[in-house]
Amino acid sequence: MDIIILGQQLLGYIPLGDIVLYMAPLNLFMFAGALAFTTLIAISRTETQVEAGFGTLKDKEVKVGKEEFKIRRFLAIVCGLATAGAMITGDLFNFTLFVCLIGIVNIGIVAAVKQVDVLDAAFQYGLVAMIATLPLFGGAAMILASTGTISLLEILNIPTTAMMIFGSLLLLLGVAGETGVAPFYATKAEMFRTPGSPFLLIIHLSSLLVIVRLIEILLIINKPF
Amino acid sequence: MSASVLVPSVVSPIVVSLFIPAVFTGLIVGLIGLMAIAYQKNDLSALILTDIVGIGMLILVAAVGTDLAEALILPGLVVELAEILAISEILLSREMRKTGKTAELIPLPVSLDMEVMTTAPAFMAIILIAYGAFLTGFTGGAVAGGGILFYVLSQRVRGVPSDMWEGVAGVSGIAWCLWLVGFLLFFVFPQYWLLALFLAAFGVFIKVAFKAGLIGVMGREEFNKKE
Repeated sequence: MDIIILGQQLLGYIPLGDIVLYMAPLNLFMFAGALAFTTLIAISRTETQVEAGFGTLKDKEVKVGKEEFKIRRFLAIVCGLATAGAMITGDLFNFTLFVCLIGIVNIGIVAAVKQVDVLDAAFQYGLVAMIATLPLFGGAAMILASTGTISLLEILNIPTTAMMIFGSLLLLLGVAGETGVAPFYATKAEMFRTPGSPFLLIIHLSSLLVIVRLIEILLIINKPF
Repeated sequence: MSASVLVPSVVSPIVVSLFIPAVFTGLIVGLIGLMAIAYQKNDLSALILTDIVGIGMLILVAAVGTDLAEALILPGLVVELAEILAISEILLSREMRKTGKTAELIPLPVSLDMEVMTTAPAFMAIILIAYGAFLTGFTGGAVAGGGILFYVLSQRVRGVPSDMWEGVAGVSGIAWCLWLVGFLLFFVFPQYWLLALFLAAFGVFIKVAFKAGLIGVMGREEFNKKE
């Protein structure tokens, strides 16, 4: 392999027809990290929260029912696998689809809780995530229109144009909305107030890893060096 | 415009020049949706209005106008539908928590007392089926299936019992076999490709049309469960 992505040697790629997964040290590390965390989640049990009562000494236990536990574990595993997929894919549109899947599953993980406040926050987050599909897919489509390909290995060799910069800005906006980082974090923080901790942590981890991967993709598209 | 370098010369310049207006249309549709969300009065309106923003996304993807873009619209649409379903489920469960009542996901039997159901069912159904037959293939099947579904729904509103579903299911199965035979012909006798193409096209047309119609069977089962 003589292709070098961001200073790292490409270890190889898996061509599955149109879909090409590429393996570079950074991507492989994040892929393995996502998978390892997903395995930990799959074998763990939920925590039990204790809510302190004001003015009394009676504390209240908040437990997660068995049905809810099963659904939540399944969705958390799906979220972990989607994150792992987003780490290793070499296709811009697959990346956006994985990010959307993470957004949907994040809503699903908290969908069955009993706290009205948490449901409210999840609804607001869902609205932002849905609005964010416009810049997300729009940016990807614009990069496709200006380069003629959505394969990152091909985009690596195409000189950057103004259209591609605009498309990658839209992509950044879309991922920010979909994973609920900086301008949209308020509703997402509210979502963590429900019991069932290890499953909720995948929401955090997925957005962290997706942002790191997005930076790599933006560097590939814009080639600032 | 650097993008024009990549466009093959057979594509007419008018089509190429449509890209920028289409991108602006998509962005403006998105902005209109966002403004409407800013003015909305309740959560349900906000949910419905976000769908407009999603349509802006579809316009942006469609603006590319290649085969690949056509293949990318489908996942975009699916993602959008999945998100709207997930959010509406959240909204439902929140309202149920607030009021303490529970409700069915799809309350059946639905009451469909719209005027169009009694005045023009046959006309609409014939137009849809004829147009579907003209289109053939998967799209045509979906259009014709919509026509059949519409006709049956209107029949139920009039009170006529709908007991033709088993026959429809049988025809659907035979049509599927036609489609498979057409597909096999491509590989076994490539010289009869035109025959194979038409077998496959009309097979999948009939199959998809009746598949959409089969929703009625499930609807009737739900209906009987209620009685």
